[in-house]
Amino acid sequence: MSDTHKDPQGHEMLAAPGRSRMALDRFITFGAVVVMFAVFSITAKNFFTMRNVLSLALQTSTTTLMGIGVTFTIITAGIDLSIGSVVALTGTVAVMAAIAGVPIWISWLIGVLVGVVCGLTNGLLITRLKLPPFIATLGMTFVVRGVALTITNANAWPAPDRFGALGNNTIFRTGNQFPGIPYPVLVMIAVAFLFHFVLKKTRIGRYTYAIGSNEEAARLSGIKVNRIKIISYVICAALAGLVGIILASRMVTSQPNSAIGYELNAIASAVIGGTSLMGGVGTVGGTVIGSFIIGILTVGLTMQGTNYFMQQIVIGLVVIGAVAFDQLRNK
Amino acid sequence: MKKLLLVLVALAFIAGFVSAQEIAVIVKTGNSSFWQNVQTGCFDAQKELKAKTPKLSVTFLGPQSESNVAEEINIVESAIDRGVKAIVLAPSDVTALVPAVKKAKDAGIPVVIIDSLLTGPTGNYVSFLATDNDAAGRACAKELIARVKAATGSDSGKIAVMSYVAGVGSEIGRVGGFKDYIAKHSHLQVVTTQYSNADMPTALNQTTNVLASNPDLVGIFGANEPTAVGMARAIAQAGLSGKIVAIGFDGNAALQNFVKDGTLQAIAVQSSYNMGFLGVKTAYDAGFAKKSVPAKVDTGFIIVTKDNIDTPAAKNVLY
Repeated sequence: MSDTHKDPQGHEMLAAPGRSRMALDRFITFGAVVVMFAVFSITAKNFFTMRNVLSLALQTSTTTLMGIGVTFTIITAGIDLSIGSVVALTGTVAVMAAIAGVPIWISWLIGVLVGVVCGLTNGLLITRLKLPPFIATLGMTFVVRGVALTITNANAWPAPDRFGALGNNTIFRTGNQFPGIPYPVLVMIAVAFLFHFVLKKTRIGRYTYAIGSNEEAARLSGIKVNRIKIISYVICAALAGLVGIILASRMVTSQPNSAIGYELNAIASAVIGGTSLMGGVGTVGGTVIGSFIIGILTVGLTMQGTNYFMQQIVIGLVVIGAVAFDQLRNK
Repeated sequence: MKKLLLVLVALAFIAGFVSAQEIAVIVKTGNSSFWQNVQTGCFDAQKELKAKTPKLSVTFLGPQSESNVAEEINIVESAIDRGVKAIVLAPSDVTALVPAVKKAKDAGIPVVIIDSLLTGPTGNYVSFLATDNDAAGRACAKELIARVKAATGSDSGKIAVMSYVAGVGSEIGRVGGFKDYIAKHSHLQVVTTQYSNADMPTALNQTTNVLASNPDLVGIFGANEPTAVGMARAIAQAGLSGKIVAIGFDGNAALQNFVKDGTLQAIAVQSSYNMGFLGVKTAYDAGFAKKSVPAKVDTGFIIVTKDNIDTPAAKNVLY
C-alpha cells in the first residue's frame, strides 16, 4: 500500500503525508479540552480539585472504553449498536456467576467472555450472512437485552461485596491528601495504550484501516477481510463486556435494564474524536479526547448548576459543532 | 372471491374467539422490579377471576424502556385491533397516549389507567388507579424537613432533587408535590434538579457531581427506584452516609439495605402490587361484568424507615 492512498472522500489514509496536519488537528481538539477545563474550573465550585478530576475520569472511563471498541468497527466502515445491551448482559452474567459462588475474578472473566461471544456473533452475522452491520447489531441489541432480562427476570440482583472492588477501589491512596486512582481509570489508560498500539503498529490495525478505505482493494491485495472484521467486532464487544463488569461492580448489582442508549455516547465520542462514519479514518487518541469532551461537559455543566434541559442542548450542539468543524477542515 | 370472503370470516371468527376474553395490561416497561410487582398483582387477580370467567386471559406487555412512548402507543393500538375486552394502561406520557385511549373508547373497550396521570377528557377512561404521587411527594418533603431540623436545628439550607424522566405524569405529581411542600413549609432551597432517565449509573454520576459541587448540601431526594439506588450508592461512596438527609422512593432490596445501614433515612414505597391487582379487577368489572367502577382509586403508599422496616405493614409493600 502506498503512503498517498486516499479513500473516496479524499481523507488521507496512512499517516505519513498527513502527519503534521494530524498533529495539528489533535492539538486543536486537545486545546478544546483544555479550554473547557479552564472555563469550568472558574465557573464550577470544586471542579478543579484532585478528587473531582479523578471522579470525572472514573465517570468517563466507561464511555471511553466503549468508544475505543466501537472505533474499530467504525474504521472498517461498520458500526456496533448492540454494545449498550452487551454492557447490561455481561454485567448481569458476571454478577450471577459471583452469586453462584464462582471466584470473583473468574466471574469478571466470564463477563468479558460473554462480550467476546456477542462480538463473535455480530462478526459472523456480518461476514457470513452478509448482513449490513447496522441491521445485524441492531437486531442483536434486542436479542442481547432480551437474554439479560430473561435470565434475571428483570430483577436487580445484589452482588457479593467483594464484587465491588473493581469499580470502587483505588490505588496509591494516601490518607486524605490523595484520594487514589480508581481501578477503572487505570484499566482505561492501559486499554487505550494497548489498542493505540494495535491500531498503529500491528498488521491487524493496518488491515482495519485498509478495509475501511477500500474493502475490494483490501481483498484483492490478499487481506483476509472477514477475519479482520470479526476481530474488530470481538474487540468492540469485549470492551463493552469490560464496561459491563466495571459498571456492575460500581453498582454492586446486576442491572439488566441499564445502559440503554450508551452505544450512542460511545459512537459520539468516536465521531467527535475525528472517526469517519464512512470508514478508514479514526484513532484511539481521538476517541479518548472525544469521550472526555462529552464527560467534561456533562460533569462541568452539572457542577456549575446549569439547568438539565439546557445541558442537553449544549451537549447536542457540541457534537454537531465538532463534526461540522472536522468536515469544513477536510474540504 | 367467495373463498376469500369465507377465509376472512373464518379469520375474524377465530380472532374474535381467541381474544374475546383478554384483558391487556400495558405498562411503561417490563424491565424493572417495580413493574414485575405490578405483574404479580395482575396475575393474582387473574387467578381469582378465573373462577367466574374460566377463559379469561391477562396479558402483560410493555416497551423496552420507559421513555419509549411511541412503542407503547403501538402496543395499545394492536390491543384495540385484536379486540380485547378491557385495557389496563400505565401511560408513559401525560398526553401522547390520549389519542390511543380515545380510540379504545370509540371501539367500546374500557380503559383503566394505572400509576401515571393522563390528560384529556376523563370520560376517555373508566377509572384511574394510582399512588397519590402528589401526596407521596409531600410526605417525602415533610420527612426530609423534619430530619434536617433534627440534625441541624434549622429548616434552612441547600437540598437537591434527583428526578427520573422529565414530564412524566407520576414525576410531575411526585417531584412537584415535593418541591411545593418544601417551598411552603421550610426555608430549604432546591439548588438543582437532575434527571437520570431512570438509569442507575447516570444517577450515581449525577449525584457524585452534585455532592462534589455542593459540600454544604443538607438534604437530597431520589424520586424513583433506580435513581434512589444510584443516589444512595454515591452518598455511601462519598463517605456521607448519615451525614446528609437522604430520602428515596420505592422499595426494592437494595433500597431496603440502604435504609437499614443509615444511608437513606426513609423511603416512600408505593403499593405496586395493588396497582396490578386492583387494576385488573376494575378492568374486569368494567369490561366483563359491565358494572360501574369508581373514577379514582388511591392504591396507597407508606413511609418506611429504619424503625418500621420490619413491621408487617412495611413488609406488605416491600419487594
